[in-house]
Amino acid sequence: MSYLNNPAVVMDNGTGLSKLGFAGNDSPSFIFPTAIATAQPSSTKKATATTVSGGSGNSSSTNAFFGNTTSATAFNSSQTGSLLSNNLAGKRGTEDLDFYIGNEALIASQGPSYSLSYPVRHGQVENWDHMERFWENSIFKYLRTEPEDHFFLLTEPPLNPPENREQVAEIFFESFNCAGLYIAVQAVLALAASWTSSKVVDRSLTGTVIDSGDGVTHVIPVAEGYVIGSAIKNIPIAGRDITLFIQSLLRERGEADTSLRTAERIKQEYCYVCPDIVKEFNKFDRDGEKFAQFVVESQEKTRKKIVDVGYERFLAPEIFFNPEIASSDFLTPLPTIVDHTVQACPIDVRKGLYTNIVLSGGSTMFKDFGRRLQRDLKSIVNNRIAQSEQLSGTKSTGVEVQVISHRKQRNAVWFGGSLLAQTAEFKSHCHTKKDYEEYGPEIVRNFSLFNMV
Amino acid sequence: MLHLQPNNLLIQKTLSEAIEAYGNGTPLTLDRIISDFDYTTFHISNASEDKLTLALSIRTKAWQSVSQCTGGPGLVAYLQSKYANYSGISASSVPESGYDYTLLLDLGKLQPEAMKDLSLLKTLVLGYAFQLAFNEFVTLSAAPEGTESETNILHTIKYRDDENLFIKPSYDRITVIFETIFQDETDKVFGKVFLQEFVDARKRNRSIQSAPQVLFSHEPPLELQNAGAVASMNSSDTSRRFITFVLFPRHFQTPELQFSTLSHLTLFRNYFHYHIKCSKAYMHSRMRYRVDSFIKVLNRAKLDEEEEDIDQQSKQQQTRRTITGRKMVSY
Repeated sequence: MSYLNNPAVVMDNGTGLSKLGFAGNDSPSFIFPTAIATAQPSSTKKATATTVSGGSGNSSSTNAFFGNTTSATAFNSSQTGSLLSNNLAGKRGTEDLDFYIGNEALIASQGPSYSLSYPVRHGQVENWDHMERFWENSIFKYLRTEPEDHFFLLTEPPLNPPENREQVAEIFFESFNCAGLYIAVQAVLALAASWTSSKVVDRSLTGTVIDSGDGVTHVIPVAEGYVIGSAIKNIPIAGRDITLFIQSLLRERGEADTSLRTAERIKQEYCYVCPDIVKEFNKFDRDGEKFAQFVVESQEKTRKKIVDVGYERFLAPEIFFNPEIASSDFLTPLPTIVDHTVQACPIDVRKGLYTNIVLSGGSTMFKDFGRRLQRDLKSIVNNRIAQSEQLSGTKSTGVEVQVISHRKQRNAVWFGGSLLAQTAEFKSHCHTKKDYEEYGPEIVRNFSLFNMV
Repeated sequence: MLHLQPNNLLIQKTLSEAIEAYGNGTPLTLDRIISDFDYTTFHISNASEDKLTLALSIRTKAWQSVSQCTGGPGLVAYLQSKYANYSGISASSVPESGYDYTLLLDLGKLQPEAMKDLSLLKTLVLGYAFQLAFNEFVTLSAAPEGTESETNILHTIKYRDDENLFIKPSYDRITVIFETIFQDETDKVFGKVFLQEFVDARKRNRSIQSAPQVLFSHEPPLELQNAGAVASMNSSDTSRRFITFVLFPRHFQTPELQFSTLSHLTLFRNYFHYHIKCSKAYMHSRMRYRVDSFIKVLNRAKLDEEEEDIDQQSKQQQTRRTITGRKMVSY
């Protein structure tokens, strides 16, 4: 009896949320923010800064989300880093264990003695010190596993530098002594998750993944398990922008509660994608029942505020298809971006990329999102075919466009990881601790692909 | 987080979700694997078609050796007595295949308080051996002063592949011995420091004088040699250590004390390894900081060189800098 009987651990650390769980389960065991609240060194000005923002409740967490996105990041983080580490040197106690992760971190950071930080930015790990401790706590406290007994499947964003992989390997093999490690690209796992859909006939690893989380939306072409890096396109519109857009609409109308949290709840519960925006406006004007009301209860359930929900029900997701209604600098609709992405790929895989467009991430969960995308994309493709038929004078066989949405879409990456990690051959694809000691960290630059048939 | 909790958070969370969903009239379809330390796996699944009962199964490496411990009502009976107070929990007569023990939970009757105890299932399994030792201590200490009350009772819990846990009750104390072995070279060094610290902490700090005495040795302690239990293990491995905790009556007088003692002791190995890992993480953050500062020094040296070059090349060209100190260069 050894680690062979233990289920593999699947961890997907995203910019906003971390999904942790065991292979073979149908949903992640824990989903919480990738946030860590560390103890404040002393009552410096940083501490006062958190008390101020902590007072305003929810906004403190979102501030941390928004911060450090400009080029000043490097400058800022190095400064705080030195502050922290200088203090580390003076520590002789157990201060380095004084931290919380996930939801507990959000609660702890409301007090004055903890400061919140998000170690993953834009999908990539920025603060390895914090990430290491985040993993430490998630493995021992939440998952309750001895890493020596388990294999691990971690995820990485496309175009993650190999140095980051090496860092991960160093942490997992040297700090945690994990039995074996596999690092999978998120897009490939999302493709694997789509195999549960009835629309998928052959289990191929070719397709276009539209991954829309909280921070950014990626369109990633994958050909036979390999990401075509040069063709990846990003859209700076994602869940958070939709939430902000709803918030701005609520504020314009002067609703009773315009907090970000309310906007987020409205987004999750009421929003959907409409086929035609003008007709939808007419429908709303004719039929009052389309308007909804959202009730916000205060924390103690003593006061209730009623927020009207109107056009934002269909307008908010519409910013994917008509970005001009929310942003002024990014104006290309999502279907066009998907088309550009596929057109940037080698010609022999394009058909496969059009027929297998897979959605992943929470911001693709809107009702009819897939249908609208499929319709818009089809018209783009058909126009192009018609044009080329006219120019060449020959008849085209046509290109099938199919957008696949499935039930596991929200945690598609995690679920794909869970599917792959429960297969018998998963362990043979992992790098083990022994391999690591033999070859060093560069071993994780390459992982053999699953060829699942 | 300094201490590991004895209860399994995930069981608690899953069960409360299930009860909540049941309360809303939409019972969950569950088929979940949950893991715990030391080769322990739980499985929560729907026991019946109507989703009204859940089966909570446990498989743990320690099961076999704990159930072989003699002198009590038996492990299954012990667990049954622990859960007898709660309504809605019954033990399945036949455990689920591949698992050691199965509890059937009736969602309609399950109380929220029961969840905490259900999440302690693994601790209770290991705790049975401790409970036996506590009981034997009572009988041994009640024996008249003159009689030689040394017995050969020694409970062995084989909770990992190479590491065992021994519990030896005696007339005035209970000795708990952990066998420990490290796979990793770095861990050996960290482990040694930690073990020394366990021993020394009691001497240095007056406020923890009431804590159990801790000893560690390379040789199997005398308690084990007498019982002949050591024969089974090959003492060839030089990194094998024995950690001995000596428990006196003050550590297990009341049921509450007994529980806290056994929950701390059953988690000792995990606690120990967790802290070795934390120390490594701490060392890593120190190293990263140091490398960063070295790189800063190197970069400072680099900048000066470039400046000279540019000065020689084009003196008339004014170098402009951004606010962070980077140079604007026009190509």
